[in-house]
Amino acid sequence: MGSDGTILEARNLTKSYRLGNREVEALRGVSLRVRRGEFVALMGPSGSGKSTLLQLLGGLDRPTSGEVVLDGQVISRLGDAQATRLRREKTGFVFQFFNLIPLLDVYENVALPFTIAGVDPRHGDAAARIHAVLALVDLLGRERNRPDQLSAGEQQRVALARALVSRPAILLADEPTGNLDYASGGEILDELWRSCDELGQTIVLVTHDARAAAHADRVLVVGDGKIRDEIELGRRADRRAGPLIARLAQLGL
Amino acid sequence: MRRLSSLAWRSLGARSARSFLTIAGVALGVAVLFASLSAGSTMDAAVDRAAADEMGRAVLRVQALEERGFSSAAVHAAEQAVGVSVAAPALERQTYLAVSPSQTASAKLPAPVTVLGIDPVREIALHDMPLASGRLLTATDGQSALISETMASQERLGVGDSISLNGTVAAGPQPFRIVGIVQGDAPVPDAGGRLIFVPLASAQTLFGTTGVTRVDLGVQAGTSVNSLTNQLERTINSEPYLLSRQADLAGSLRTEMADFRSALLLVAAVVLFAGAFLIFNTLSMTVSERAREVGLLRAAGTTRSQVMSFVLLQALLLGVAGSVLGVLGGVCLAGLSLSWVQSAGPIALAAPAISAASIGIAIVVGLLVTLAAALEPAWRASRIPPVEALRRGPAAGVAGPARLRWLFLIFGVLGVAALAIWPGSSGGAVGTGGVAAGGSAMWGPLAVYGLFFLAVLLVPLLLGPLLRVAGIPFRVFRNEERLARSSLARDPSRTALTAGALVVGLAMVVALGTAAENVPKIGTAWLAETIPGSEVLTSIRPVSTTDPIRAELAAMPGVRSVSPIGLFGVPYQGVRQEAAAIVGRDYLADGRLVFVSDGGDRTAALTALDAGGSVVLPESLADQGGIHVGDELTFATGPSSARLRVAGIVAHSIPAGSQEAILIGWSDATDLFGVAGADFYAVRYASGQESSSRAALDAAAIQYAFEPSSLDRVQGAVGDALDRIFRLLDALALIAVLVAGLGLANTYSMSVLERVREIGVLRATGMSSRQVWGMVVVEAGLLGVFGAIVGAVVGLIAGALLVAWSSGGFGLAFEPPWVSIAVAVVFGVLVSIAASIYPAGLASRFSIVRALQHE
Repeated sequence: MGSDGTILEARNLTKSYRLGNREVEALRGVSLRVRRGEFVALMGPSGSGKSTLLQLLGGLDRPTSGEVVLDGQVISRLGDAQATRLRREKTGFVFQFFNLIPLLDVYENVALPFTIAGVDPRHGDAAARIHAVLALVDLLGRERNRPDQLSAGEQQRVALARALVSRPAILLADEPTGNLDYASGGEILDELWRSCDELGQTIVLVTHDARAAAHADRVLVVGDGKIRDEIELGRRADRRAGPLIARLAQLGL
Repeated sequence: MRRLSSLAWRSLGARSARSFLTIAGVALGVAVLFASLSAGSTMDAAVDRAAADEMGRAVLRVQALEERGFSSAAVHAAEQAVGVSVAAPALERQTYLAVSPSQTASAKLPAPVTVLGIDPVREIALHDMPLASGRLLTATDGQSALISETMASQERLGVGDSISLNGTVAAGPQPFRIVGIVQGDAPVPDAGGRLIFVPLASAQTLFGTTGVTRVDLGVQAGTSVNSLTNQLERTINSEPYLLSRQADLAGSLRTEMADFRSALLLVAAVVLFAGAFLIFNTLSMTVSERAREVGLLRAAGTTRSQVMSFVLLQALLLGVAGSVLGVLGGVCLAGLSLSWVQSAGPIALAAPAISAASIGIAIVVGLLVTLAAALEPAWRASRIPPVEALRRGPAAGVAGPARLRWLFLIFGVLGVAALAIWPGSSGGAVGTGGVAAGGSAMWGPLAVYGLFFLAVLLVPLLLGPLLRVAGIPFRVFRNEERLARSSLARDPSRTALTAGALVVGLAMVVALGTAAENVPKIGTAWLAETIPGSEVLTSIRPVSTTDPIRAELAAMPGVRSVSPIGLFGVPYQGVRQEAAAIVGRDYLADGRLVFVSDGGDRTAALTALDAGGSVVLPESLADQGGIHVGDELTFATGPSSARLRVAGIVAHSIPAGSQEAILIGWSDATDLFGVAGADFYAVRYASGQESSSRAALDAAAIQYAFEPSSLDRVQGAVGDALDRIFRLLDALALIAVLVAGLGLANTYSMSVLERVREIGVLRATGMSSRQVWGMVVVEAGLLGVFGAIVGAVVGLIAGALLVAWSSGGFGLAFEPPWVSIAVAVVFGVLVSIAASIYPAGLASRFSIVRALQHE
């Protein structure tokens, strides 16, 4: 972690893809810093590069150039084994389509990071942590349910609990409310906010929903592969989406 | 239609690896079927050729049933029958080439030779004797001989050389000069190619007889064989005989091969089932993957029948490609199989027969199975509603009942196809007293087939509990094992069907192993129960019961008893029954033969045999004829008939030919049936003296031209031949496992492709690529172990059925075939794991980002 509390830093990231014969530049020199315990939202229209940026920040993909430093470690050039360890220990992901393992029940889905790491999730610290996150997302008592027995909002809460259970250095959420109704989406955003507020969890959220972004401390507006603007929001308790929406409107978003 | 076929081609081409695997599966199934049919045709052709060679232009063969052969009166009666153009008598005997005393002392007897005494003029009128060199025999020849080319080459003999043949003891060895060499083996099946033709009179002198063993009859044009048969029955009424036509000879030879051919067909059915499963799986995958596309086509106005035709057309293309390749592969497989088996009974097998019928049947059955396998997926595709075009994500899997319907259909189609091409069902020749080829051999394989079907039906129920057991060896990979088990439970009916193909293949391997392990033991038990000794001394010529040899051998130190046994045929109710002449008191003393509960008193029955006027029947024959102790049986023995009382019924009798022999006392055998002497002696050593006495007895026996063999060795020779056949069948059954392996590769690929996003999540959550690889491989290992467990159990039951079928009621301790079980388990698990290597590599290489974006 940097002396200024930075836990995540991106330095001049670029990412290019080949699409048929065409070279597509998804990111064109993005630099950013995220402080420990900060809740940052990446906003932008479809194709702006925000999801690509999130994938690079979480070590799911490698940049074409530039580097990502997470918790003092350069993660953009890691080999498969090191990248796997990083994902196991320092990052947590929440996706738009929940992506739960359908054959595992709630408890087993939440326990997955421990199971994969070879830690017995039924005993000791692991069990305590699972209990804690299930309490956080209000799913105690639903441990034996399978994903198909849960509502969409509940499934996303399970996914959130799974992402939080290993106490990652950073939680990366890609459109976590994109597949939820208004009420369920609100619940998830509240859960994210609480994890940040109560647990000090660092969060990077990708969204195109201003209401979701309004839960963040800071909004980075991504457009055309670059950070086009940065919006510092006020105290969370006072937050309303209205001013943010006004500002985004000024940016033509 | 053209557009439809182009779409079908493109659809198959889009998944070329999957299409290739499927074609390979069909091809392997058809290859085994073709090899099975071709081997059958080859055997048929070889049998017909052998029968034709043996009979030549003769229409009927009159074979003497008595050991002494026909008198000249009987030969004359045959010659004089109206319509007979040529009657060619012959005397057939086995003997040895005489060698010097120093050579006979060697531990091993030379191979015997078959001497055929012929009338040179009449024989050539009915039988071709193409010469390799020299000349044919003439009416004026005396001590001249023709030998077969095979024998000439084995003994390094040529025209002009002399040979000396052993005859009766009184006649002593007699010299013959070779005047010609006949091409090839010469046509006597049991001669093994070592055949010597000599003038009939010389042969009769050599063997001290005036009789002939057979008369071949050529007939004038327009003569009815039936009327000739009736005539002979009226005129030759003083000596028992058997009439055979060429078809009768072929029929009896075919009977010996029916079991082998049935087993080949059963294996082919199993391989085709595995291939059918592959087709079903491939087309199911295609239908699931293309559900949205099919929905679009339906929304655009494509009719249900067009959709169905589209899927069936794909199946047809796969079936045609697989069947054609299968026939090509089948030619090689048939060649390999036949060169491995080498012979079927006394008939040597040559290159495989490639008939248009075999090709046609293999292709038709291949296509039928392919289309039957495709019917359910095609029907399902036609039911996809247009709204499917709007649905997001993959289509729902195939429901269990659909798979059940499919299973019934496939097993039904295969069963009907097998019945249609069952050996003998196409109207093969049936000989006098013969058994329709395949008739008795049919129920065992059909029962096994039914058992396999039942096993596949039960697999879904066993899946849950047994997967936990199968997971035990993989517990070391705890997480991978749990995830793999969950994955297999994702679609239980698909997993069950995948495992079903593997189970059936492995069960076949274990069943054949069980039969291979236990069937030879039945033979051993049979001999031990019916032969009063631990060693047999076989003679190639009957040794008179008054010959002092027996007394000399019995007087040797350490020898407790030497019991003569003669094998011969008796005419009973118009057909030949095998009989054995035995000494009742020897059996009484030795404790052999088990009398059934209502089979009479042992002591009384065996004593009655020696006294004469009685027989002891094997239970199988008694049951078949509804005969009881005390009944009288009438045997044709010449002008009058002999009535013998059934003194006892035994569980098993001495095996002779394909039957169990009627046991007759020596006095009746010689007086009533003209038995000249013993064919072999059973030797019992004094307790604990076998090892010390055996060498001396064997040396003495060889001096008298006896072939000494322990019972173990007799059984060993039979066992070796069986072993070759079982190994071939096992190898073919392993092909079924291979085809199941192709199905597994398909299923694992499908399973991985269905879980792309899930694998992406696992990777994002911290699962390494190696763990992903391990998860898929462990999944395969689990299924392999499951298949091996169920396959081994089902195979043992099937094997027990096959053994029980051929055990003849022996209450043998059942020996599990540990080697086959080990091979099945290891091979099954290895095939399953090998099938997962590619899908596992694919899964481990998924880009996390793309996997997470996968729909």
